[in-house]
Amino acid sequence: MARVLVVEDEVHLATGIRFNLELEGYSVEVAGDGGQALEQLRAVRGSPASAFDIVILDVMLPGLDGFQVADRMRQGGDHTPVLMLTAKSLPEDVVQGLEAGADDYLAKPFELSVLLARVKGLLRRRDWARSQSDGADTATIGDAVVDFRTFELRTGGEVVHLTLLEAMLLKLLVQNAGRVVSKAEILEKVWNVSPDTETRAVDNFIARLRRYLEADPRAPRFLHTVRGAGYRLTP
Amino acid sequence: MASGGSQLSAAQRSKWPHVSMGVALIVVAVALTVGWQILGAEAPSLGRPTLRWVVYFFGSVLSLLLIGGLVLIVILLLREVRLNEQQSNFISAVTHELKTPVASLKLYLDTLRLRELPEARRDDFYRTMDQDLARLNATINSVLNAAMYTDRPVVDPQPLDFARLVKRAIELTQTRHQLAAGTIAYQGPESLRVLGDATALETATLNLLDNAVKYSRDTVEVGVEVGSNGDGQAFLRVRDEGVGITRTHLPFIFKRFYRIGPEVRRSRPGTGLGLYIVRSVVKGHKGTVHAESAGPDRGSTFTITLPGLLDAPARPDHG
Repeated sequence: MARVLVVEDEVHLATGIRFNLELEGYSVEVAGDGGQALEQLRAVRGSPASAFDIVILDVMLPGLDGFQVADRMRQGGDHTPVLMLTAKSLPEDVVQGLEAGADDYLAKPFELSVLLARVKGLLRRRDWARSQSDGADTATIGDAVVDFRTFELRTGGEVVHLTLLEAMLLKLLVQNAGRVVSKAEILEKVWNVSPDTETRAVDNFIARLRRYLEADPRAPRFLHTVRGAGYRLTP
Repeated sequence: MASGGSQLSAAQRSKWPHVSMGVALIVVAVALTVGWQILGAEAPSLGRPTLRWVVYFFGSVLSLLLIGGLVLIVILLLREVRLNEQQSNFISAVTHELKTPVASLKLYLDTLRLRELPEARRDDFYRTMDQDLARLNATINSVLNAAMYTDRPVVDPQPLDFARLVKRAIELTQTRHQLAAGTIAYQGPESLRVLGDATALETATLNLLDNAVKYSRDTVEVGVEVGSNGDGQAFLRVRDEGVGITRTHLPFIFKRFYRIGPEVRRSRPGTGLGLYIVRSVVKGHKGTVHAESAGPDRGSTFTITLPGLLDAPARPDHG
């Protein structure tokens, strides 16, 4: 049974979302503000049985806002998939959410069926990134070894824990090794947004992956930018 | 990677280049003026002393005008920027205030449509939806009221019983917030007649009471006092023991769209229009409005006075 943390200060919405998720068979907890959410996440870290599988995160919260919560989660090494919910639906808000570390984004008001599908989709994407069916569980890029089952990347003696999106991006590049993958394709397959979304998110993630993989991120040997076309991985 | 930069709104980020350019220009102008004065005093090339003094004088005046103008532009720019921020905060607040109940209504409607629910649960959901509709209605009303009462004197003041109006508003507020009768204590006469616009005054009173409840902490403790100050003025005082207002915010709370803190970290629902409406209504009656607070967590007191008292209070009734 997947566990969901709903971070929402509006009682009506929190109650309604919880009610529906529980009917779908999820086990649900609710946090009323950002600080409480971080505490609840911290409390279950390291115990796989009670860890959350997904966080549904509202943006406008008292205290810490949703962007900050996502940001602090990621910086604290918490890689639970995040679905952001917000009344703001402008493209730049979507982009800000994705850049803060959200894995998916849904504008209020939303269709209940869409919310349930997105939750399921996010869990499925996580499973896809972890899956063994299409390709190997691990990939070797230079000195680095990526394990897609655990989202772990080992370089030398160091272990980096990848976020869902980082793992998915890397997996897409590994599956297409030697071939140029366009930014549009990445946005569509990894971020699940329209391919013409204006965002630096992909560039930021590529830069992050380079820091993990490359000895000198400014002169990449494995993860190349192909100007005007996209990115290419040559392991 | 999202860093601290994501915490600044776009408006906040874009303000600094303009402002620092203005400040730099002022510095340049001052440096130019001072330098010119020194050079002018040193250089004897201008010939006759009178001519030199004339040039000197006009030059100084022009320089001062230039500096003054630049300072003025920077001040105006800052004010514009602040207004802009408040407006975008307002849009953000109204977006949230309108979309949250709509999202909730949609969610419960979808749930009722999608699921087979027992009767009791369905009734629960209907009640929730009713509350969402009331919230939506209140937001729409406050936006409309703000437009209606802005800078407009009362056209046709009528005699009305202000004490009764306030007592009715207290009852309504208690019902709306599901408070026990008597939570909001009334002190004042049974009846106090003033000239005014009953609907507008009721809106203003309800806004004050609503704020007092909204900004209370766990227990609501609100005192309302109505009376006359002897010089033909009626007054209403609303006192709460809530979160209070810091000194820095106090001068601005009656401004349109003003809300304390950035909107993305909103801690109380609202649009930033409530107190603005109060001030507009009171101004329309040629009255005054005043707020005081001893500081954070020490409650606040709002006092409005209204000229147009029709009679001395019949008999003081302290209850």
